[in-house]
Order: sequence, then C-alpha cells, then structure tokens
Amino acid sequence: MRALRPTLMVCLLLSLGLGGCSVVRPWEREALARSDMAWEPDPLEASLDSHIRFSKEASLSGGTAGGGGCGCN
Amino acid sequence: MQRRIQKLRLALVALALWLASASLASTAPAIELGQPAPAFSAPAVDGSQISLTDYRGKVVFLDFWASWCGPCAQSLPALDGLRGEFPDSEFQVLAVNVDRKREAARTFLRRRPVGYPSALDPSGEIPVRFGVQTMPTSFLIDRDGVVRHVHRGFRPSDVPELRRKIQALLAAGR
Amino acid sequence: MSRGNARAARRARQRRRRERRLQRRSGGSQALRALTTSALALPGLAERAAAAGAPVDYRADYRYARYSEDAISRSKVAVGGETERYEIDIHQFRLEAPIGQSFDLGLEVAHETMSGATPWYVTPDPNGGDDPIQVMTEATIDEARTDVLLSGNHYRDESVLNAGLGFSIENDYMAYNGSLGGERSFNEQNTTVSGGIGFSYDLIEPEDTNLFPERPDREDKQSYSLFAGVAQVLGRNTQVQTSLTYQHQRGFLSDPYKRAFVENSPIPDDRPDTRNQFAWLTQLRRHFRKIDGTLHVDYQFFFDDWEMRSHTIELAWYQTLFDRFRLVPSFRYYSQSQADFYAPFYVTARSDGHAASDYRLSPFGAISGGIKAETRFQTWSLLWDVNVSYQRYVSDADYALESVDVENPGLVSYDLISAGLTLHF
Repeated sequence: MRALRPTLMVCLLLSLGLGGCSVVRPWEREALARSDMAWEPDPLEASLDSHIRFSKEASLSGGTAGGGGCGCN
Repeated sequence: MQRRIQKLRLALVALALWLASASLASTAPAIELGQPAPAFSAPAVDGSQISLTDYRGKVVFLDFWASWCGPCAQSLPALDGLRGEFPDSEFQVLAVNVDRKREAARTFLRRRPVGYPSALDPSGEIPVRFGVQTMPTSFLIDRDGVVRHVHRGFRPSDVPELRRKIQALLAAGR
Repeated sequence: MSRGNARAARRARQRRRRERRLQRRSGGSQALRALTTSALALPGLAERAAAAGAPVDYRADYRYARYSEDAISRSKVAVGGETERYEIDIHQFRLEAPIGQSFDLGLEVAHETMSGATPWYVTPDPNGGDDPIQVMTEATIDEARTDVLLSGNHYRDESVLNAGLGFSIENDYMAYNGSLGGERSFNEQNTTVSGGIGFSYDLIEPEDTNLFPERPDREDKQSYSLFAGVAQVLGRNTQVQTSLTYQHQRGFLSDPYKRAFVENSPIPDDRPDTRNQFAWLTQLRRHFRKIDGTLHVDYQFFFDDWEMRSHTIELAWYQTLFDRFRLVPSFRYYSQSQADFYAPFYVTARSDGHAASDYRLSPFGAISGGIKAETRFQTWSLLWDVNVSYQRYVSDADYALESVDVENPGLVSYDLISAGLTLHF
C-alpha cells in the first residue's frame, strides 16, 4: 500500500497536465457522441445491475458524473 | 481509516488542481458581434463551390451542423421552414457540415433533404475561423457581411426569436 | 383442526411472507440512482446521437429480466432444508421527455415478483466437519416490490441542475428518497464537474412478529449521501471520469429476518446503528475508430467504518457490426473483505453485542461475465433499439484478493437473462 503513494502522485500530476493541455473542439466530438461512449449506454441495465450488486454485495455503488459525450446545446 | 482519509484529501486536492488547470486552458476566440464574418469557400454536397462573399447583399443565416449531433438534426428542418418564409432574393440559409466523413453528411441529407446548400468541411477549418464553441452554432450575418447575432445550441422553441431577428435585419438597410 | 393441518397452515403462512432483504434497495443507493439517471449524458444511436445538453427526443425503454440463483448445494445446508434459492422476475419501464425550452423529466418504474428461500443463519457442522452449515428459511411463494423514481433536469448555458424523488414499496417495507445535484462544464465542455446530495428514509415493519417475537415491530433508518465527480475529455476518442461518493447511515441497520448463531443458540442479527461508506469510482471510455469498437473500463475502491474494503473492476467491449448491430461481451471481478463484527457463528458473544452471519458481510470474491446483443432499426420516424443479454455471476471465497479462512456457506451464484426495447420518438 505504501508503494502506491508515489504512483498516486504520478497519476495525479499526469492528470493535471492532461486537464489543461488537449482540448477537443465542439465539432470534433463525433466519437464522443456515440451511444457506446456514454457512461451508461443502457440506463435500465445499469439500474438493475446496481440494484443486484447492492443486494448481493456490501459495497456502495459509486455515482456517475455528467460530462463528456456530444457536448451539444 | 486515517490513511484512507489522507488519501481522500490527496484526491480532493488533485481534483481541485485539475479543475484549476482546466479552467485556465485556452478556448476558441469567439467571433464578436459587429465583426465581419470570416470569408470561406468550400465544396457543397452537390459538388458546386460555396463562398460566403457570393451572398453579399442578402441576409445570411449560417448554421454549423453535424450528423452525430442531435439538436443539429432538429435545426435543419426548422431552418428550412424559416427559409420558406422570406424571399430568396433577400434571405439565404447556408450550412457548414463538419462530419469527418463526407459520406455521413450526404447520407443524412439524402434521408432528410433541405432546400439550402451545405458546405462540407471535414477538416474543421471554418468553425475555427468562426470561433464555434458548441454544436450547433449559427450566425446571422447582415447584408454587408457583418455578424449580427450568434445563436448557440438549438431547440425548436428558438424559432420565433430567430424569425424576429431575421425580420429586423431585413428591415434595416436597403 | 388436526395438529398436522395446523402445522401445514402455519408453514403456508410463513411461506407467504418471507425475507426480502435482497430486494430491498437501500434508500441511499436509490438516492444515488436518482443522481446518476439525471446527471447522465443522454445516450442515443451512433447514427444520430442525442446531445449531452437538453434532449430533443422522447425516449421510452422497457426491459424484462429473469434472475435465478443457483440452488445451494446439499452439503452446505442443514439437513432437510430448502435448497432452491431466489428467482425474480423484473419489469422495468422508463420514460424521458423534453419539457419546454430547458427542462426534461424522467420516470423510471420497476416491478419485481420473487419467490424462493434465503439464508437465515449459519451454524457449525453438526457432523463435526470444518465447514459451517447454512440454515435456510422456507421458500416463499410470491413477493412483490415496486420502485418509482421521478427525476428532472434543468439545462443552463454551461451547467445542468438535477433533482430526483423516489419511493419503494413492499409488503413489509417502504422507503422514500430525494436527491439534488448539478454539473458545470469548463474548457469548451472538455471538463465537467458534478456534485450532489441525497437523502433516504427506510421504514420496515417485519412480518410474522407473532411467530418470531424477537423481530422488532417497526424500525427505520436514514441515509445521507454526498457525491462529487469530474469528467475529462482526453482526446477525440477518449473520456475519463472519477468520482467520490460518501454515505452516512443511521438507525436500524440489522436484518430483522436473519439470525446469528451465538454460544450455541440463534439470536437476532445485530449490527451497529451507524455506518459510513466511501466509494471511489473511475471510469474510462475509449473508442477505436478503425475497428468500430469501444472499450469500457471501470474501477471502484470502496471502504467503510465496519472495516470492509472492496475492489471492483469491470470491462466491457462494445463491438459495432455493419453499423446496426452491436455485440457487447463484459467481465467483472469483485473482491470484498469482511465486516469486523462478522463471523459465520460465534463461540462466545462479542462484548459489543453485535452478531451477523450474513454472507453479504463475509469475505469473498465474485466473477461475472456477460454477453449482450443489440440492434437498431427505423420504422417511419420511430427509432427502435432491441437487445438481449445474458450474465453469469459466481461468488467464492477463493476468488477474494485476501485469503479467507472460512467461506460463508450462503455465497450465491446466479444467472440473469434479459431482453429490452427502446423507442425514440
């Protein structure tokens, strides 16, 4: 677990760099707009899976944030 | 438990820093109202060449769209309707399609044809010049080629407002 | 009435009302569901993807699923006990509609009917073997649960606000929940920050308290949850997000239908009356243009103050074929450690009085694999999506990351078959 700390720092620094550098323009989002790129392409399936997991396992199901995708409107 | 709370704090700091860097990143410089619309020339779906300057003297509605963009699909027939409300000699609707594959635009228009031309710009040069910040974006350009209105996004309920603005521009000048 | 008939009648009464723990969604998780369904980017078709902004289409979904647990093996069950486990039929329905200029509304309804036996408590092997034995409840005939969730979004220039309200109802159980959240985009929608809060209230009035006077007549619990996440577009074909969820629960957190074997006699399940949980979820979506496929990788780390930790990794590959078919194989690996007060059975009672032998609090790992096939087609101006899928889930103490001394005999494996239909109009 202790070895994880430097790795964590590297990951965080990488994500810092990535955050500001590459910008995908609004008209370049064709792939991101695809339904299979969605965080939850099938909401009912995600709903049921989450419910079953909760019933069979002890963990909380983390929530999904918005963002990504088409970015339209 | 203590170590995990520490990791959590670390994660939160990283999140905050990430946010800061993200908001500092440069975005496309948007065209300002009152500026002349950037000239462009691109082939249309039917092979003919479309140049913005050819339409000087008319009020031009320029719409940027893509086949993969839901609201764009809604805007096309709505704009076609608007086009029919004004005389061809005074008002022109132009579209710029930014699909990476020209075929996607052609297929889309074959299924849902409109009465105004669409220029194809797979390389995305034209939206850069216009500083497009969201899909779809449309520009209302007056008879002298000056950008008078930028409309970001599209919903069917936007049509009355667009109609009013077009009418205002048609009334001004000449 | 003869004694035989009286016994049969009592067993029939018992059979009619049974454990529904597995059906019960924790209010907190349902509140989160409200957060996620309303904070979603609307999925559409590859051909005509709906926007991440205000939706322009109406969308209706229906899905049927059949969940069936493997029978528990005879060697793990108390003699003469029921081995058939749970079977559930699930119907789900969802409707999404744009409202006016900048709103949308969503309604999700789920209705389940279930029957079967569930684990009751665990005892040492009466034959002196090493492995403990599961005592099962008797099988139920018919239970039902209904879940309703209403959610809405308000779209503004660079942000979205969302709210949700839901309730859940069963014979012995009722819960309601609410959530509020929002997201804001920066950097030409390359970065999106989301946050939200949720609350839920659960009330249980256990059945058969006349037969099992140890059961409380009425108990409740409250959950409060906090959520924060950030999504980042990494390239034309890649996006990633990471989020933290915290949930605090207080009240009656034990299972009134379960017991634990303490000092040679079964006593009611007793768990702490508070729980703090944390989940850190990271998701990656990566599209590969040349082969028209998309990779999903999800990893979650979870821990709580019951000393439980878990890791989840999910992989899915979305392969589009001929532009209108999609095949999605998926894989999931899960490993959890145990709650500190958990034990299969207790030789001596704990000083804090807690006792729970529920397999859900035991250490184990689970592997599941699934396959889904879907297709889309258009009739007039209606767009249809049809899908079928199958999933197999197996849990086993040997699959856990950390070594487990004693496996809980009640660990479950199941099959899930489902078929769904989506309509865009």
